[in-house]
Amino acid sequence: MPGAASRTTFPYPIVETVLDNGLQVVAVPLDTPGLAAHYVAIRAGSRNEVEPGLSGFAHFFEHMMFRGTPRFTPERYNDVLKRLGADGNAFTTDDWTCYHVVAAADALPTVMDLEADRFMNLSYGVEAFQKEAAAVLGEYNKNASIPFNALFEKLHDTAYTAHTYKHTTMGFLKDIEDMPNQYDYSLAFFARWYRADNAVLVVAGDIDPERVFDLARRHYGAWRPGVAPLSTPVEPAQTGERVARIAWAAPTLPLVAMAFHAPAFDAEGIEGHALDVLAQAYFAPTSPLHKELVLDRQWVDWLTAGAEDRRDPGFFLVLARVKDVEHAGDVRAAIERTLELAGSSKLPADRLSQVVSRLRYGFLSGLQAPDQVASTVCHYLQLTGATSSIDTSFATLDRVGAADLSAAAMRVFRPSNRTVVTLAPGPTGEGA
Amino acid sequence: MKSVLLPSDASPFVAIRFLFTTGSVDDPAGKEGLAAATGALLAEGGTQKLTYEQLLEALYPMAAGIGVHVDRDVTVVQGIVHRDHLDRYYDLMRQVVLTPRYDTKEFDRLKDDQHNALVAGLRAVDDEGFGMESLASLLYPGHAYGRPVEGTVRGIRALTREDTEAFHRTRFTRDRLTLGLAGCIPDGFVERVIGDLGALPAAGAPRPSLPVAPAGKGFDTLVVTKPARAWAISLGHPLSITRADDDFYPLFLANSYFGEHRTFNGVLMTKMRSDRGLNYGDYSYVESFVQDGASTFAMPNVPRRRQAFTIWIRPVAAAHAHFAIRLAVRELRRLVREGLTPQAFEETRAFLANYSALWVQTPSRRLGFAMDGAFYGGKSLVDELASRLPEMTVEDVNVAIRRHLDPERLKLAVIADPEGAKGFVEALAANAPSPVSYESATKPEVEAEDLTIAKEQLPVDAARCRIIPAETMFD
Repeated sequence: MPGAASRTTFPYPIVETVLDNGLQVVAVPLDTPGLAAHYVAIRAGSRNEVEPGLSGFAHFFEHMMFRGTPRFTPERYNDVLKRLGADGNAFTTDDWTCYHVVAAADALPTVMDLEADRFMNLSYGVEAFQKEAAAVLGEYNKNASIPFNALFEKLHDTAYTAHTYKHTTMGFLKDIEDMPNQYDYSLAFFARWYRADNAVLVVAGDIDPERVFDLARRHYGAWRPGVAPLSTPVEPAQTGERVARIAWAAPTLPLVAMAFHAPAFDAEGIEGHALDVLAQAYFAPTSPLHKELVLDRQWVDWLTAGAEDRRDPGFFLVLARVKDVEHAGDVRAAIERTLELAGSSKLPADRLSQVVSRLRYGFLSGLQAPDQVASTVCHYLQLTGATSSIDTSFATLDRVGAADLSAAAMRVFRPSNRTVVTLAPGPTGEGA
Repeated sequence: MKSVLLPSDASPFVAIRFLFTTGSVDDPAGKEGLAAATGALLAEGGTQKLTYEQLLEALYPMAAGIGVHVDRDVTVVQGIVHRDHLDRYYDLMRQVVLTPRYDTKEFDRLKDDQHNALVAGLRAVDDEGFGMESLASLLYPGHAYGRPVEGTVRGIRALTREDTEAFHRTRFTRDRLTLGLAGCIPDGFVERVIGDLGALPAAGAPRPSLPVAPAGKGFDTLVVTKPARAWAISLGHPLSITRADDDFYPLFLANSYFGEHRTFNGVLMTKMRSDRGLNYGDYSYVESFVQDGASTFAMPNVPRRRQAFTIWIRPVAAAHAHFAIRLAVRELRRLVREGLTPQAFEETRAFLANYSALWVQTPSRRLGFAMDGAFYGGKSLVDELASRLPEMTVEDVNVAIRRHLDPERLKLAVIADPEGAKGFVEALAANAPSPVSYESATKPEVEAEDLTIAKEQLPVDAARCRIIPAETMFD
């Protein structure tokens, strides 16, 4: 790879260390006067939910992390954050759970004290646990009127047979309804995954890295290592197309989702980066398919595609929202033709360089504030364990050639590797 | 034309915002949705030089977009670009604002999209947004504030390409424009932009009137029916103040205490979610609030000349809807009766002083907030709070609460499943007890309080309750 790997994309300095207990600590000093972001990534998400009947627990656990410790009750935790005027919250994905606080930079010692305490000393009773389970069901209910959620649930459930990506991060509804009865399991979940050697701390903003490391050693130094072993079931290769349909009660627009199993994220993997380029070249607003379906025929009002960054093999996903159910079949056929074309034709060099420019500037424009920087660094760290994977990944992108694109398309976009889920209004969901 | 300039070398990006004081209030009768259609055609209709397809092609390698957001009183055209691309990018934005294409094909597409956004989006699959717009219809009956910016089904149908052209000519004028630039602005750039904007007409149509707040006590209740697994609830009443008034700021503090958006600080959140697990979240507002993407912060550049106090109760199980409304009203009555304690006041003031600094982390947001300040004739909300909070007293806050909040003249909108709607309204109108039970263990003091909440009297008048199917709203 002559010359390519030397080019750096990440525009800020990264200073990092590993504590004796295995906690990775990363500091990114930025010119953001008076502001800092404190992000902790736990490398556990719905991917870790291997036991039947207990899907959704990583997300549920995210809620429980706000339920207090002997030192800081939930009220006191919130009072301290409130006094600091901090913006704190959390989110869960398939692969990781993120706890984030953005606050005045001089509040960092307090924020770190508060955050470290709950990772080490979380403590809650059955009653708080059950109230939070009700809030999670409320979250599921709030999402229930949104067709995309139903679509993704069905897509994961259909495309996967063995791997834990079979369920979404929210979990299966029946498991959510059973959550109030799983107090003991919640304690086990915490003991297994909330360990120093399964976590990453990223602090970005108006900070001094050495001071961040000192604070981290003081507050996080006693966090015990000992993450449990995880063996996620291996998804067998798909051997035939899978199809499912959803009938929607409200008069929504039909949706067509087409998913292909794609490789796990690998910063040096050509195929995964080739899929990123293919998604842009063949489905972005400047693509011939977008022109045909959205601008010219006006059958579709929304078209998107992308390859997921996942620790285990995730999706290459194409999504289209169709204006009239009678065109759903034509839309599906046009998408399939495009995917075939991606394998059989050669992308012109100028198009390829435009796509790479787009991906690079898109990445940079998402790095303007401390929270964006910290969140991006966490994303790559949870995937690979190494901050260098950011620049490695963009160097790999620079190496993608036209032949890589067609090879990736031929291998991934096979009909036997395809799952199609459609959603349409009406009693049966027919037509889409 | 006003301008707001915030140059800074800390970022390699330049943010550009053109804020016009035109929005859905300018929709002519029978053409409801025209402002939105015009905004969409600016964003996605191409320019006289470039088709939309060519515009997309030109923007693509920069990873930049030109966004247009239409609200009730304003329309903003905005974007942010890396300094490497500023010249080419600005040339595109200039064309979009000054010389849109009014392309027939794109107009047809966007009109169709706007219709779908209303019929298959808001009314079908966005229960919480639908609940808020339904509440707006009660707060501002017969006025543009009382319907979604998308307009009405009939209004959208009546729109023509020529309407958008005339609308652009008469509303996108210099007297309605505030120019905003922030970030690493090169030398001579400001003068160049101001020179270009001279091509806009100096003035056009007069600005339309504001809604008159409906008078009178007692609830107006609107139950909108559609298939719903859980029920979205909105409550509110108009306010007579905005950021332009001194009273707004103590009221803003009171609201932060009562229902700060997407935090666990608020009284509503504590009582409804943390103590009882009734739903995912419960917040309140003293001005129109649009969340900026996935953040918890307000999107700038949606200022309004009239504001309302609103409560957002995220979907609750149907069996808990009546109880949840009672609890929210009870807490509001308590707030008005008792006000904030000196300690709650101090805590909330400390919170806001620091928290508000987080609202302006990027050049584009800093710019948007400063421009909103100019809209109201003052500084940005963040700067207003920074200068006003140190002087504020708990008495100021409690006086503002009593002067401006009134639980007895709330309006209520509920998105409900057709199956339970009638029984719900009957129980509501009869003030029938709504005892609640939980699947999970609950603190004894909470259970004891529930017995009282279940009998909280609401000023509901059966004659002012309506149940209407979703497909007739905004028709």
